[in-house]
Amino acid sequence: MSILGKERKTDWEVVYEGVNGLMDLYSEDPDSRGMNAILKGFRSFVDGLFGAIDEGRPIVWHNCGCTPELIKGLEGVQSMPIEVLTVLQDLVGDVQYTMALIDAAEAHGLASEVCSIDKAAVGSILGGLYPEPACMLYHNTPCDSQIAAIKTAAALTGKPMRMMDVPYLYGDREVEYLARQMAEGIPFLEEHTGRRFSWDRFRQVCEESNRTAEYLRDWNDLRRHKPCPQVSKIVALCTALLVAFSGDPEGTAIARAFRDEARERIERGESAVEGGEMYRAVWYQDPVWWDLQFYDWMEAELKLVIPMDLFGYYAPEALIDTSTPETMLQGLARKSLRTLPMSRQFKGPIDNFIDDYLKMCAEYQADFGIFAGHVACKHGLGGIGLFREASREAGVPLLYFEFDMFDPRVTSAETIQAHIANFIEDVVKPRREMS
Amino acid sequence: MGKSEILGIMHNAIQKPRNTYLDQWVAEGRKVVGYYCTYIPEEIFTAAGFLPYRLRGAGSDSSSEGDAYMSARVCTFVRHTISLALRGELDFLDGVVLAQNCDHIRRAADLFRKKVKPAFYGFLSIPRVPKERLFDWYLAELRRLKAEMEAHYSIAITEQNLEDAIELHNATRQRVNKLYELRKREAPPITGQEALTITVAAHVMPRAEFNSLMDDLLADLERAGGNGDYRARVIVTGGVMDEPEYLAAIEQQGALSVAEMVCFGQRSFGGPVESGPGDPLERIARQRFFQVPCARMVECFDEQFSELMKRMKEYKADGIIFQRMKFCDPWAGDAHNLYWRMKEAGIPFLSLDREYRVTAAGQVKTRVQAFLEQMGK
Repeated sequence: MSILGKERKTDWEVVYEGVNGLMDLYSEDPDSRGMNAILKGFRSFVDGLFGAIDEGRPIVWHNCGCTPELIKGLEGVQSMPIEVLTVLQDLVGDVQYTMALIDAAEAHGLASEVCSIDKAAVGSILGGLYPEPACMLYHNTPCDSQIAAIKTAAALTGKPMRMMDVPYLYGDREVEYLARQMAEGIPFLEEHTGRRFSWDRFRQVCEESNRTAEYLRDWNDLRRHKPCPQVSKIVALCTALLVAFSGDPEGTAIARAFRDEARERIERGESAVEGGEMYRAVWYQDPVWWDLQFYDWMEAELKLVIPMDLFGYYAPEALIDTSTPETMLQGLARKSLRTLPMSRQFKGPIDNFIDDYLKMCAEYQADFGIFAGHVACKHGLGGIGLFREASREAGVPLLYFEFDMFDPRVTSAETIQAHIANFIEDVVKPRREMS
Repeated sequence: MGKSEILGIMHNAIQKPRNTYLDQWVAEGRKVVGYYCTYIPEEIFTAAGFLPYRLRGAGSDSSSEGDAYMSARVCTFVRHTISLALRGELDFLDGVVLAQNCDHIRRAADLFRKKVKPAFYGFLSIPRVPKERLFDWYLAELRRLKAEMEAHYSIAITEQNLEDAIELHNATRQRVNKLYELRKREAPPITGQEALTITVAAHVMPRAEFNSLMDDLLADLERAGGNGDYRARVIVTGGVMDEPEYLAAIEQQGALSVAEMVCFGQRSFGGPVESGPGDPLERIARQRFFQVPCARMVECFDEQFSELMKRMKEYKADGIIFQRMKFCDPWAGDAHNLYWRMKEAGIPFLSLDREYRVTAAGQVKTRVQAFLEQMGK
């Protein structure tokens, strides 16, 4: 399938076809408004990226720890998260392509323990699937695997790179530190893209980012409703929304669709689970990205709904204050440190990671928690003992298993299904009967 | 004392968490502070009158306590060190100072804070880009740590204390660098296994005693003949490495390690802290922050590579053996990049993944033998 009237690399054509196919399938379904909005967003992103390529506009790569507002402050510059192709392949394309990219990176010498999305990003670079960047702007979050990928990307492309050092803690001093680095990063971006940074444009971008945040905050509230009004799988998409569409009207449209769909379904008294939900769980750590139908299975077979997960949990500490350049940079730094899923929970001490989980369990009235341990998330797996203890103390049963969020070869869907079904049968159900 | 006696002392000092020097220090009522990484300057502890003690898993036969809290995807170095702490084998520590060196150590820090509960817990947020633009933050972190230590221990760490500490640690650096100089000889008077024993010992015993032992050792080595009976000279690089027996497995095949650019090896020492005038803490910070960077640092791979190339020439090395702890992501990126840069430069390069405290001698020997044959040695 051509993109913008031209033939492109097969990997991209497959995801484009996937997006369009799903849009055809769901566009008339009033209960798929959120999914349709994100599909439309993905298509718009691919169009934007290839439009930039065709027009010869500069492209700046960034990583999933770094939202694109600062890059969008430059007129005519296209931002591109280095994970984008993998995310699209797993969500709407064909996971076989992701596996091939993972294999390519490992064959090139990248260690197998590096995160599969980072390996796939390196595979994408090796395969010439990404447009040449003018430069790269990264944050050193959410994990060390990103560091490995970023360093590899820098070596493979030879392009200028700038790393924003996201510190350990979250206080005002840390916000100032990161904001200063952002300010210093602007001349770097200008130099390598040849485009001017506009504070007015940046203000508009931040205002858009705020609008998205407000819808997400409302949407987070609405998903607390019992029964959960919306399908489980949609929560996993929130981080993709933020990484690709922060500061973009498309992001606001997606967030609004999430919110509106949830609100209207509550008004109509509808539940995500046909026949009524029986169990609610907070899904923590990483989603099963290679098979979002997995969540449909949980709802249909187990009457289990995921009202919230770590990727969907949006904790706006504050909106970006757009009154001055300084406040905008501080606001963006605050968002990176305290709000962006994964960066918020993964980069610092274990406390945020555990506290957010317990808060979510309480707020979303979870019967139990699912710690889906993505094998490459060493920071998460390194904290599993403390996490379990905290869960026990809070009286929240916890299911823990390891899998790979982008590679189904590590743990099969059937195995994960068995873990969850058995846990409900052996732990959750008896506990409910006893109470 | 001669070489064999001194090496025997140092060998004994690194076998278990405690050693006789440490016991003596503790018996005198003096304090010991543990830390993991070279970006945490030992001079601050010395200036406080404390013994800097670099955390390692010496003598740990099991990581079971660590395994109870951490997945097997966390590196074995971290799981062994935290196991020692959880078993109470590091109870002689009067405090620990940790940092977000990597994801694994970050979680070990949580366990220290929440489970081990040392009398003093300090934490540094160390920038991951060793550029001037972030130096102020690093220095501010050190100032904060100093203030926290002063408050907790009710002490004053004066400028003179810091100057004295600089002098003591520079004396160590000077001796270790002299040891490394001798290894440039055609027939080095010391093996890699022995050299690593020495540099590891420096991290777990009082520096004054270490320096004194080094004076005797260096005098002996200056006079000694060397070992020219090797098939190839190699530089061993990569992440943490405090097990001389691992180098022994390499060297038994005829690959003489002439320099160890690893944590606990030469990378932990570097050049001297500059002498005054000026704020001594800032001079310490500069020496540490702008040292030869390790893999946790970004935007500096060319510097790392250049340093390795420089040492290849200086030590007349035939090849590089890179070792990395399984599951270490920072070094995973560098392993990839080093492999390709070495290939481009035509430098023989062997990459080994390993587990802590498991030498897997058979596997290492086979890989090293093949490497030597590949080099035509």
